[in-house]
Amino acid sequence: MKLHILLCVLFTTCLLNLTESQVRKKDGQSLGERVQQLMDMNLKRSVLRFNGNKFRDFVKSTPRNYSVIVMFTAMAPQRQCSICRHAHDEFQIVANSFRYSQAYSNKLFFALVDFDEGPDVFQMLRLNTAPVFMHFPAKGKPKQSDTMDIQRVGFAAEAIAKWIGERTDVQLRVFRPPNYSGTVALILLFGLVAGFLYLRRNNLDFLYNKNCWAIIAVFFCFAMVSGQMWNHIRGPPFVHKASGGGIAYIHGSSQGQFVLETYIIAVLNGAIVLGMILMTEAASHKGDVRKRRILAIAGLVLVATFFSLILSIFRSKAHGYPYSFLFK
Amino acid sequence: MVPDSGGYLRTSSSSGWKSLITFTVLLLAWISGFSSRLFAVIRFESIIHEFDPWFNYRSTAYMVKNGFYNFLNWFDERAWYPLGRIVGGTVYPGLMITSGSIHYILHSLNIPVHIRDICVFLAPVFSGLTAIATYLLTKELWSAGAGLFAACFIAIVPGYISRSVAGSYDNEGIAIFALQFTYYLWVKSVKTGSIFWACMASLSYFYMVSAWGGYVFIINLIPLHVFVLLIMGRYSDRLFTSYTTFYILGLLLSMQIPFVGFQPIRTSEHMAAAGVFALLMAMLVLKYLQSILSRAEFKYFFILAASIAAGVVFFTVVVLTYAGIIAPWSGRFYSLWDTGYAKIHIPIIASVSEHQPTTWFSFFFDLHILVTTFPVGLWYCIKNITDERVFVVLYALSAVYFAGVMVRLMLTLTPVVCMLSGIAFSRLLELFLKEEQNPSQSTFSDSDDEANGDKGSSRMYDKAGKLRKMKHEQQKEADGLGVNIRSIVIVAVLMMLMMFAVHCTWITSNAYSSPSIVLATYSQDGTRQILDDFREAYYWLSQNTASDARVMSWWDYGYQIAGMANRTTLVDNNTWNNSHIALVGKAMSSNETEAYKIMLSLDVDYVLVIFGGVIGYSGDDINKFLWMVRIAEGEHPKDIRETDYFTDRGEFRVDSEGTPTLLNCLMYKLSYYRFGDLRLDYRTPTGFDRTRNVIIGNKYFDLTYLEEAYTTEHWLVRIYRVKKPDDFNRPRIPVSERKIKRSKIFIPKKQTNKRKKGLIKNKPVVVKGKKPSRVS
Repeated sequence: MKLHILLCVLFTTCLLNLTESQVRKKDGQSLGERVQQLMDMNLKRSVLRFNGNKFRDFVKSTPRNYSVIVMFTAMAPQRQCSICRHAHDEFQIVANSFRYSQAYSNKLFFALVDFDEGPDVFQMLRLNTAPVFMHFPAKGKPKQSDTMDIQRVGFAAEAIAKWIGERTDVQLRVFRPPNYSGTVALILLFGLVAGFLYLRRNNLDFLYNKNCWAIIAVFFCFAMVSGQMWNHIRGPPFVHKASGGGIAYIHGSSQGQFVLETYIIAVLNGAIVLGMILMTEAASHKGDVRKRRILAIAGLVLVATFFSLILSIFRSKAHGYPYSFLFK
Repeated sequence: MVPDSGGYLRTSSSSGWKSLITFTVLLLAWISGFSSRLFAVIRFESIIHEFDPWFNYRSTAYMVKNGFYNFLNWFDERAWYPLGRIVGGTVYPGLMITSGSIHYILHSLNIPVHIRDICVFLAPVFSGLTAIATYLLTKELWSAGAGLFAACFIAIVPGYISRSVAGSYDNEGIAIFALQFTYYLWVKSVKTGSIFWACMASLSYFYMVSAWGGYVFIINLIPLHVFVLLIMGRYSDRLFTSYTTFYILGLLLSMQIPFVGFQPIRTSEHMAAAGVFALLMAMLVLKYLQSILSRAEFKYFFILAASIAAGVVFFTVVVLTYAGIIAPWSGRFYSLWDTGYAKIHIPIIASVSEHQPTTWFSFFFDLHILVTTFPVGLWYCIKNITDERVFVVLYALSAVYFAGVMVRLMLTLTPVVCMLSGIAFSRLLELFLKEEQNPSQSTFSDSDDEANGDKGSSRMYDKAGKLRKMKHEQQKEADGLGVNIRSIVIVAVLMMLMMFAVHCTWITSNAYSSPSIVLATYSQDGTRQILDDFREAYYWLSQNTASDARVMSWWDYGYQIAGMANRTTLVDNNTWNNSHIALVGKAMSSNETEAYKIMLSLDVDYVLVIFGGVIGYSGDDINKFLWMVRIAEGEHPKDIRETDYFTDRGEFRVDSEGTPTLLNCLMYKLSYYRFGDLRLDYRTPTGFDRTRNVIIGNKYFDLTYLEEAYTTEHWLVRIYRVKKPDDFNRPRIPVSERKIKRSKIFIPKKQTNKRKKGLIKNKPVVVKGKKPSRVS
């Protein structure tokens, strides 16, 4: 309640002094003024945007009784920082969860410094990468552990909140705005399928087409057997730059795999299956003997070649595996 | 390895021959499957492997000793100290009952076999039964030849051997048999529509429920089968009879298992079966109404009833779930659907390597050529669809999905892959091995209705012996492919199958035949050295500690300590209580003072750690340590922080770069106590850890609250005694006032193993205020 009144008061003063306060020179402000300004700015947006001057005023100046979590980033398109966008979204989620939570207070602020708006800040802190999350505690200088280790924990909103909890004792519960896009896409898809079926309701023969179903089933098997689920969960790189300068398509150990590698395996599996089916069809059908012989041979070649290929890839990953077929 | 026995059949009246060959092939499959699972027994000894099997063995031994009812009421006070565990109500008793009854039968026949040997050899024996069940199921689905192929495949495929080598006495060993047999009986009952087969299916289902938690797979797959059949418009009275019988009987029987209890009517995992049951009833009502109502009326009624029913069902489920009457999806099951769930919410699930997703490498490793050919079988099953083939298609698709999500569920994929590959190979070889005198048979005919000799004999194709004869005989070619092409294809396919057999044996021998409690190393000249440190340590515990001593260790070793040392443990592999495990994790990751408080509150007498730094064993506690920290952090975020154990660069290192928190935590100290003095060989400095290839960071330190009690030969297991509060901090009594005057105080500086043993045995137990029992 108290906070609420405070906010109202702040808001009115803010409206009155808005133009004035922006023009006014900012050195020599007292702590109270600075907190007020921060609160004002925080009303408008949960993540404050700082340039070099503001950064010095609000973050570097002493004394402070508030901590600031600052994200240093480079959002401008010409910087080509693709993960900065994701990091910004996650950071925004955390800041919003704090802004609208019970724990909201003037002890903690979220701020953002873009490289193009405050390159001097980057120089001052000797930062040459982005994004970087730093915590500026109320007392003292930021220590080594006040920089979040995004290499290790990532920058998901939960990870940021956990890190903030460790550094500031403000336990945040991340509230993600519910993501309806998946649901909408699903509904849209179902709608499309239903509409399609309705339009073609007089001609539903394709539903009874066994080839169609068989192909769907077999492709599903290829996807699963080639480890797409692993890709989905672990998110490996597409390919990897080998140490010699070339590109490694196949992961060297049996514990991992690349995305392209799984596609290759899926294709190899598909070729073997195709070969088997060709051979079987060649022997089971009636008709031109010559054509069927060619089919049978083609099937055999497919099976033998691609099976030995898959075996040799397997062999290259399993160190010490002794067997190979046709070629090593 | 694929047993290709039997001769070439030319006689047409040969049902005798046919059954003889079937019998021989199955027998050989059984024998080869059994013998390829014996690597561990031959290399080491007849011993129970790994972790969970030790618990199963312990409970089996308890049951054999005390009888079944005492087993059901068994409260095990030696586990989860101080909580204890109600064993009878928290296990699937099928495994124990199976081996217990085998033991009973053998003993009533005056064949004195120790229960341990029954436990060790149970899984290999059941693999033969699995092969037979697979044969029967595939025979129902396709043909007898495909069945023989499938039986041979499953007998030796590594995906199944991984869970059923001799000594791996675990639920899965018998559960796969129960799974396949239930499916066989189900398919049989759908085909015949007889109540008898449906009853048999539910009895087999009962056995499965008693054996393994994976029964959930059955109770979801069979309703799915029924549901898809309904959608496909394949409703029949046979289906109605078999499903209703199976469901009701299976439901009642499954609730008889104490561990399952009322779950089948309360949890969401089982709701699909109930829903399909209701749907089948509604279907029957509709069929009846259709026969008495006019078309327009029926349509109106159908739409109305369908929407009302859907609404009612939906709201009932929502309300019941909300009210807590139907439990929501349990965590482990949920992690199958939302794969990110487990990673975020349940570190203890994520820490188990079996719950990781599967790479293509593991698929190929476990299934070899089968994984590349089973889609062919799937293809032909869909092309020639029947009621029961719908089942195998659904089985394959769901199992391949689950296997992709979790390595462990490769086990449920393996049987269906064997069956479908069996179909693919049998179809291929059937066509290529067939003589071309009667071309009418080259088209595929459904095997269901063929039973008698003329065709039947020609189905016995998958025999190596056939090959040679055919080359001699086949000369003329009407519209066949010709001898050359056919023999090339046959030879190539047989070569690949041989590769499969060789692969299976190699994988079994190299990857799946290590008991993991006895380690073997090979020196330069090829001689083998057995490291038996685990049993040494457990034996020491059983001989040198009080029988009610409480041993703290990480949960992996709980079952082994209980099983081999027969001592009380704090946590074990039945990870039901996360907070208790987190407490142990907290003790391990705190410093000595903090840890001592926890250990005092838990009444810990001994602490056991696994340390591989001397021999380079990678599965030791330091390598598992981060999981302890993570699990502890989940429950005690204020006290334990994972970041404290990482260096600034985010690395986990135990050398001098490591963080002070790590270098002073209990686990570090217990692992590396006195290790700083040890020089392993003259090329490396002292304190060189062979597992992590670093010199440890904190070499010289003393333990305040614990003392070393025992360290095994290769330092693999280290046991520490927790000092009682009166063991230290006592006011020092001047020598002149002492009642017992010791001339020489032995200071253990550099001990040899022998010396150390003696020290502990002869050490006077000085309890404050009591007269010492022995004076040295």
